[in-house]
Amino acid sequence: MLNKSLLVIGVACAIGGTSAYVEAEPRISVISQWSAGAEGDAMNAFGDLVTKAGAKWEHNPVSGFTTDMMNKLRADIIAGKPPAASQLKGPEIQAWSQIAPTVNLDALVAAAGYEKVISPELARLHKVQGHWVALPLQVHRINTLYASKKAMDKIGATTLPKTWDEFNAMAKKMAAAGITPVAHGGIAWADTMYFDLSLIGVSPDAYRRAIMNLDDKALRGPEVLAAFKQLRQMTGWMSPANAGQHWSVFLPALMKGEYGFLMMGGWASGVLKKGKFEEGKDYLCGATPSNVAKPVFDLNADGLIFWETKNPDLQAGQKITAQVAMGKEFNRVFTQINGSIPVRTDVELTDPAYQDCQRDAAANLAGAVAANQVVLSLAHNMAQNNAITAALRDVLTEYVHNNSISPEEGQKRLADAAAAAR
Amino acid sequence: MLASQIERRAVRVPEQARARRSPSWRHFWGVTAVEQIAKLVAVLTLAVAVLYVVGFTLWTTWISFTDSTLLPDYTLVGIKHYTRLLQTRIWQVAYVNLLIYGIGFMVFASAIGLLLAILIDQKVRAENLLRTIYLYPMALSFVVTGTVWGWLLNPGIGIQGFVRGLGWTAFRFDWLVDRDMAIYTVVIAAAWQATGFAMALFLAGLRSLDADLYKAAQIDGASPLRMYLRIMVPAMWPITIAVLVILLQFAIKTYELVRALTAGGPGIATTLPTTVVYDYMFQRGLMGAGSAAAVMLLLSLLVIVVPYAFYQRLSARRLTRHG
Amino acid sequence: MAEAAALSRASRYGFVYPVLIGFAVFFLVPMVVVVLNSLRSFEEITQSSVLGLPRSFQWRNWTEAWSGYCMAGSCTGIRPYMWNSLVIAIPATIVSTLIGAINGYVLSLWRFRGAATLFAIITFGVFLPAQMKLVPWAITLRNLDLSNTVGALVLIHIVGGISFTTLFCRNFYVNVPLDLIRAARVDGADFFQIFRRIILPLSPPILIVTVIWQFTNIWNEFLFGITFSEGANRPVTAALMALNANVAQAREYGIESAAVLIAAIPTLLVYIFGGKYFLRGLAAGAVK
Repeated sequence: MLNKSLLVIGVACAIGGTSAYVEAEPRISVISQWSAGAEGDAMNAFGDLVTKAGAKWEHNPVSGFTTDMMNKLRADIIAGKPPAASQLKGPEIQAWSQIAPTVNLDALVAAAGYEKVISPELARLHKVQGHWVALPLQVHRINTLYASKKAMDKIGATTLPKTWDEFNAMAKKMAAAGITPVAHGGIAWADTMYFDLSLIGVSPDAYRRAIMNLDDKALRGPEVLAAFKQLRQMTGWMSPANAGQHWSVFLPALMKGEYGFLMMGGWASGVLKKGKFEEGKDYLCGATPSNVAKPVFDLNADGLIFWETKNPDLQAGQKITAQVAMGKEFNRVFTQINGSIPVRTDVELTDPAYQDCQRDAAANLAGAVAANQVVLSLAHNMAQNNAITAALRDVLTEYVHNNSISPEEGQKRLADAAAAAR
Repeated sequence: MLASQIERRAVRVPEQARARRSPSWRHFWGVTAVEQIAKLVAVLTLAVAVLYVVGFTLWTTWISFTDSTLLPDYTLVGIKHYTRLLQTRIWQVAYVNLLIYGIGFMVFASAIGLLLAILIDQKVRAENLLRTIYLYPMALSFVVTGTVWGWLLNPGIGIQGFVRGLGWTAFRFDWLVDRDMAIYTVVIAAAWQATGFAMALFLAGLRSLDADLYKAAQIDGASPLRMYLRIMVPAMWPITIAVLVILLQFAIKTYELVRALTAGGPGIATTLPTTVVYDYMFQRGLMGAGSAAAVMLLLSLLVIVVPYAFYQRLSARRLTRHG
Repeated sequence: MAEAAALSRASRYGFVYPVLIGFAVFFLVPMVVVVLNSLRSFEEITQSSVLGLPRSFQWRNWTEAWSGYCMAGSCTGIRPYMWNSLVIAIPATIVSTLIGAINGYVLSLWRFRGAATLFAIITFGVFLPAQMKLVPWAITLRNLDLSNTVGALVLIHIVGGISFTTLFCRNFYVNVPLDLIRAARVDGADFFQIFRRIILPLSPPILIVTVIWQFTNIWNEFLFGITFSEGANRPVTAALMALNANVAQAREYGIESAAVLIAAIPTLLVYIFGGKYFLRGLAAGAVK
């Protein structure tokens, strides 16, 4: 009995002793809301790349929406054991970095020459006080217009409308032909998104002042009023039977020609691809109408933030994961699966796995960066933090679902809500 | 049934107790040690129960007076969250919705539950089957209930679309997307889920009523309807209280059902205080304001719970007097 | 008893049965919709609508949901999560029921000052919404060093259920005649012996009610389930939500319906087979 225990102790010491000289085993713990479908697949692909680079990949997705993921993150932070990395985006990166320590990625970013190939707007979002703490994973163009080919044929149109006037004219023709011009599910963020797109189409500069800077004069100015008027016209073209419905529910009807237009983020083309609908044959894809000549890009970007850890395994894993995320291979793989566009401006989209819609979006981004007309999406929590976004969203979703609120009244409520939330 | 059971067992206990009381060291250590442990456990469980309720409520109340955002922050700042919330449109809408939904749901579920209980009590065939059909919705999660009713009440693809497809093209049932009527769809879905439970309680109550009550009424020649209204329903007052308590806590805590059914829409037409709490606390990262909303919700509850507690106290006292 | 109140034959068939059957239809329709959807293919549902008869029987939805559906890198369907829910729900139900019985016993049959107040406080706990308990629980779990363990959810559901179980049990035990307790005391039975020899044998009716109620609530609980569990330890409600919550893509309604039905089987069985005892338990306990 005694001999056996001595033997066990001896072996344990030997193993323990040798492991002191073994290097840290890199691993990374990640939480996100992407548990299934294409997003889940994209994370799996990310994981494969990280594993190939030498770190063990532990992805714990939280079922539910972004808030549920943030709840889990909050609970983990309270417990003192945040994951090594987590999904986070936009102004929330700034807010959350105040409550838990993050990793300074400056050295890694400089070594990879990453900042040169990222648009400055994007870089700004992922830095806190000038230091990189998060890395962008993908970019989605929010201001994407999808048109049903069948509906367009019926009114004799061949190209997408470029300005709001052209759009309104086509919509009127569709309504007269018995087609519901605008497909809309009626969920609060989608309501907000339609307002964003209206305002961006009127004047991206006004959007920047009013929505991104919450400038009171801009909020009460003529461009915002024009946006409310355009939005009121569009709500008139939406089916009243739609409220609280997921936007994807209407895709088959859109393809059949019962609906005319859909304004949605670029991910919709991925969904359409999965539903076996073809670009050019079943639908047309391009940017939403804009009264301004130069290209505009309404940006939504998901990011990965790195939380400080004392565990050497996790630290090594973080390094490897960051390097993978900054690479071209990751950009390609992740965006092909998700229907998004790469964050790196030097990734060519010539691969046939990319859709024309994605190429159009990438070109749009490059043009908008050159013209300094990249704006951040309010509806997708990029322009403001969650509290302000929600206050504005309350006003906008009510406006969309209540036709008796006049554009003037809507503008006043929006400006008041911004003033109260500021 | 209960009375006879109790009598039978009452006879058995004294004999067993007497047999056990032979003096031995085991009796001294075993029984009394068990007794001490039992009492300790009882005190512990009571303490945990009370501490949990009091502790969590006090914590939330404290946070409601602070400027907590993403994480709790314990420095007090005053009642500003309360005053602000009371002026916020979404809270006003949510509170009114709770009144409409809560009262509507409770009345509807208890009335239908009572009706079904009375009807089932009529010695109908297939009673077991019917009872199971009415009760099973309680087994489903709120998310499922909300999702499926969201499909059924959708004007395009649900009941309205179906009936119109049958030929009656003027049929309208678009409450789900109507700002003024959407809250009533929540009533329907919630009543679907909980009415069976109310029915079960009422049925149990009916079945346990004293047979003498009936005989006396029959002798007096009362019609079945009068018998129900004049005698049975009043005699079931205590059961009704139980039903109302169960339904009330269901209504107060409704969250997942609304989230799955309407997502708070159209617009903000079906928000409830619990959705506002969740929204402010977690989505907007304003924990102080969210806690204030929760506290206000609970305060309005006290208006109902306190009288109930008094009633319980009275009934317990009545029992000890008669018992 | 009910013979006295039985209605005439005409009114039975003219009123009683139609109303009962009408409501039966009302209660059954949603279930039928879900069952039908579980047999339809993704293309069929998205091409036509969410309500409709299956064109072809897609048993594939069921096998996918049970063991094939991919979530978070592992394609195991919801089977492992069902097991997790069982591991959480069964102990939590048993322990919270027992605690409720103990509390109910003390609060109803042992007269001490403040018993009514304590009971009022515990009953108040029945009304606390889950949202306000989330952060306090995160803090409590950290202090107990239980964060992200399976025990975390078991603890949360035990403590969270005590208010209900105490409410049910205490209202049941107040019906036990005090004379019985007094007689036992005179004969020398003490606190624990009365509990074991009088109270517990009388309890099955209310214990069944409590167990059914607790099991169902714990099984279907969602908010704590997704926040305080991780990866392979998640309960089945988290897995269902993974099917449900998609911003960027269409929902797999067919698989979702099948998964929902599979996940509902335990609670449905509990209600279907426990229904009779449930009623007896309510009858025995709920009067007065």
